[in-house]
Amino acid sequence: METPKTILVVEDEKALCDAIMDFLTRENFSPIAARNGREGVELALSRHPDLILLDLVMPEMDGMTALKKIREDAWGANVPVIILTNLSPTDEKLVESIITFKPAHYLVKSDWKLRDVVKKINETLKLPSS
Amino acid sequence: MLDGFAYCQMIFDAQGRPVDFIYLLVNKKFNELTGLKGVVGKKVTEVIPGIGKDNPEILEVYGRVASTGVPEKFETYVKRLDVWLLISVYSPKKGFFAALFEDIHIQKKVEMDLANETLAIRNLLSDIKIQKNEVETAKVKEETALLAIGDGLLSTDENGKITLINKTAENLLNLRSEDVVGKSYSEVITIENEKNVIVPLDKRPIKLALTGITTNTNHSGFFYYYLRKDKTKFPAAMTVTPIILNNKVIGAIEIFRDITKEKEINKAKTEFVSLASHQLRTPLTAISWYTEMILNGDVGKVHAQQKKYLEEVYHGNRRMVELVNTLLNVSRIELGTFVIKQEPVDVIAMAESSLDEQKFNIQHRNLKITTNFDKNVPQLLADPKTFPLVFQNILSNAIDYSYSGGKIDFSIENDKGKNILIKISDNGLGIPKNQQHQIFTKLFRADNIIDKNTDGTGLGLYIAKSIVESSGGKIWFESEENKGSTFFISLPADGQKK
Repeated sequence: METPKTILVVEDEKALCDAIMDFLTRENFSPIAARNGREGVELALSRHPDLILLDLVMPEMDGMTALKKIREDAWGANVPVIILTNLSPTDEKLVESIITFKPAHYLVKSDWKLRDVVKKINETLKLPSS
Repeated sequence: MLDGFAYCQMIFDAQGRPVDFIYLLVNKKFNELTGLKGVVGKKVTEVIPGIGKDNPEILEVYGRVASTGVPEKFETYVKRLDVWLLISVYSPKKGFFAALFEDIHIQKKVEMDLANETLAIRNLLSDIKIQKNEVETAKVKEETALLAIGDGLLSTDENGKITLINKTAENLLNLRSEDVVGKSYSEVITIENEKNVIVPLDKRPIKLALTGITTNTNHSGFFYYYLRKDKTKFPAAMTVTPIILNNKVIGAIEIFRDITKEKEINKAKTEFVSLASHQLRTPLTAISWYTEMILNGDVGKVHAQQKKYLEEVYHGNRRMVELVNTLLNVSRIELGTFVIKQEPVDVIAMAESSLDEQKFNIQHRNLKITTNFDKNVPQLLADPKTFPLVFQNILSNAIDYSYSGGKIDFSIENDKGKNILIKISDNGLGIPKNQQHQIFTKLFRADNIIDKNTDGTGLGLYIAKSIVESSGGKIWFESEENKGSTFFISLPADGQKK
């Protein structure tokens, strides 16, 4: 049996983090949670997850700064990151960051069902869709 | 004899004052000149009553000449006789005098006319001077007003050489009028775009105004940074207008305003809106995901009634999410009209992308789409961030208000090379005639669709119209209830071919 893929969930809102964690567990992933950008970078670099779900608006360190730091690492330069946020990608600086730090996808939470987020994860990791 | 002549004897009073005289001899001319007859042997006070009062100088001079023997000459206007006379008096014998009279009324008239005319001319001159002062004052006032207006103003001649720069422009740009007037605009003023790239000469608004325009269009809504000599810069909104005389462009006027403050306010508003929508979306996401998981059966079996109710919860949640998204777009448009950032966009690619986004809905409602995209359509100058919303909104309306199995036509064609014409038509619900005039207003939804479809926000067409119009285009429609609607969008082409 294949080992479940590790997904690092970086999300500061407890309710949303719990929902994602529960859902991913049920979908046979192995999720770990970080509650802000700083924790997210620590866990990413220490645990080397297969994919990172990254929120943007967070206390202590925001998502883009965390992504920048992760990308500076040799391993982190290539880890697939799906940005999962409620911020619209309209700000110019944000768009520039997206182009620079290359997340695999940018999803607006309120527009995406959990099951469709999982589809995107499977796509990104090139896993067969359940 | 040409002159009048009179020989008289002077009469003095007790004090030796000349009070009268007797005419001893007069000639015919004298009678003619004075109009007096039969005066010989008479006293002048009898012949010309009141002469002593009216012309006392006559008796004085005669008396003096008659006593001293020194001849005199004088001019006088004899009131009683209404005649101007030049009188030469001499005394052949003491106590007697002889006077020669010359009628000088003509000379006198000439003199007076001349004097009058001189006076008239002096007055005229004075008036002219006053008027000249008034005109100059008005001119100075106007110039002062123009130069003092709160916005920066500068004008150039047809070659782009600066002819006028006002105080505000001097202050904003850190330049002095005497240093720049006469110099070429591009030598003296540098502008940058948002990406810190210096705007090349042929793209500068002044250049655009001076060339290639035959009508009185002004080019407004430019937004650039002016660079000062000391390398500091400030954002400015500028309007450039050509000055046209007899159909020829003889110069251009550029008016600009420092918008640093406005930009800051705009930025603050944009950030607020962004933050507000983020905050609204977070609890909406929680509702959505947890409801999804319950409906999925992830935490226990859900029976039919529960499913039904939960779906209503989910549905309500979706509507709110949609509303937040739409309000975010509306405020982006309303804040964004302040700065129009346009670039050439491939309108066909956008159309195809918007159709792709709606794939699921199209299939779900069993709709047949036909497209007709003319490959030769020129590029469109638009904001690539907001323009897709035009297609999104009109297309989603066509889909939502179609009957199942209906047909939607989407075409993009070249309209005489100057415009791009886009048509999206459906054969669905249509818009009732009596409500058609309200279709583009905010939050309006027609009665016939509110019943059938409660989900819309009423903002989609308002958004589409705002974006189309800020791209310089026009949007209109034709519609008949239960037959369908066709929406038309006409947009000016960029002029550059792909």
